Amino acid sequence: MSMAADRTLPWDWYSGTIPKNVQLADSAYVESTFSFYLFRSERDDAASIGQGASAYLGTMFDVGANGRVTIGDYALINGARIVCDAEITIEDYVLVSWNVLLMDSYRVPVDPDARREFVKRVPASVLRRFDAYGPARPIRIGRAAWLGFDCCVLPGVTVGEGAVVGARSIVIHDVEPNSIVAGNPARLVRRLTPEEINHGR
Amino acid sequence: MVRLPDNVHAGDNTVIHGDIAFKRFLSKQVPGLVIGAQCTMDGVQFAVGPQGRIDIGDYCYFTNAVLLCELSVKIGNYVVIGWNTTIADTDFHPLEPALRIADAVACSPLANGRPRPAVAQRPVVIEDDVWVGPSATILKGVRIGAGSFIEPGSLITRDVPPRSRVAGNPAAVVGPV
Repeated sequence: MSMAADRTLPWDWYSGTIPKNVQLADSAYVESTFSFYLFRSERDDAASIGQGASAYLGTMFDVGANGRVTIGDYALINGARIVCDAEITIEDYVLVSWNVLLMDSYRVPVDPDARREFVKRVPASVLRRFDAYGPARPIRIGRAAWLGFDCCVLPGVTVGEGAVVGARSIVIHDVEPNSIVAGNPARLVRRLTPEEINHGR
Repeated sequence: MVRLPDNVHAGDNTVIHGDIAFKRFLSKQVPGLVIGAQCTMDGVQFAVGPQGRIDIGDYCYFTNAVLLCELSVKIGNYVVIGWNTTIADTDFHPLEPALRIADAVACSPLANGRPRPAVAQRPVVIEDDVWVGPSATILKGVRIGAGSFIEPGSLITRDVPPRSRVAGNPAAVVGPV
């Protein structure tokens, strides 16, 4: 279960490669190099995907020139959009459901006049992607956290370890460790009990 | 390359990516879809019914959006629509259970030409310079004023004044842009 010497994947339906600045552990599984179609980071350490981690179909690393994505050991990315211009860290054992969005930058000015000038430049660019704009704010998803399907994690958010984010939540504030949040915007539903937190330890 | 249906017009330097763009494009209008110049339509689904018509201005940039149109969706210039966003100008089915049963039969393989009951439909208008974040939903009859900023995940059921920033479900104005 590893990529070939030419950085292709033997099972791939898409004729792409794993970019050279992506460090893929031997035991990690990436379903398709199509996930890197929008990967344009120029950093040497642009991404790492840990032992036993997996990135299934629908996952898209939409990573800008200065972006860096770290995916920990045994993390499971089941089709997420990762919009990264600064740093997105997904720690060990994190479960990310389908259609989840992680974005560390809005990539456009909020002011509509400034935004128009920005939008006008896009058709002239080769890949037709937005340049990085404004301050990107790193995202961290803590160890063994679980993100429900369709949820969005917005710039600057830290999700604490062991936390659970309900399906379709929009997370705009930090989530405390070992808590359950849900809603738009996501709010605390309850904290896990000590028995739940220590279960099996 | 996507082959454009005959009743679709696309302007200069506009690109449309994705195999599914016109899989559910059933518009009988002429034209049924007009896209201006300098636009990027990346993975967009144009799900348009026989009576539907979509108009899109210049310099628009949509990523994996779903546009469901049975009547009219009008989008201005310099509009950006994020990934996984849905826009619909119709309720799809009637509100009343008895009419919905009739609709279920009319939609079934046993319909035998039965007509569908009327369904609430109202045009959607998105004015110039609007930014619609990813995973947003915009429902029938909504007009979004020029320059507004729709935060990711917003569910829009009412008009949005120009130059306002909205968020939430249901979406509310959280400030000016």
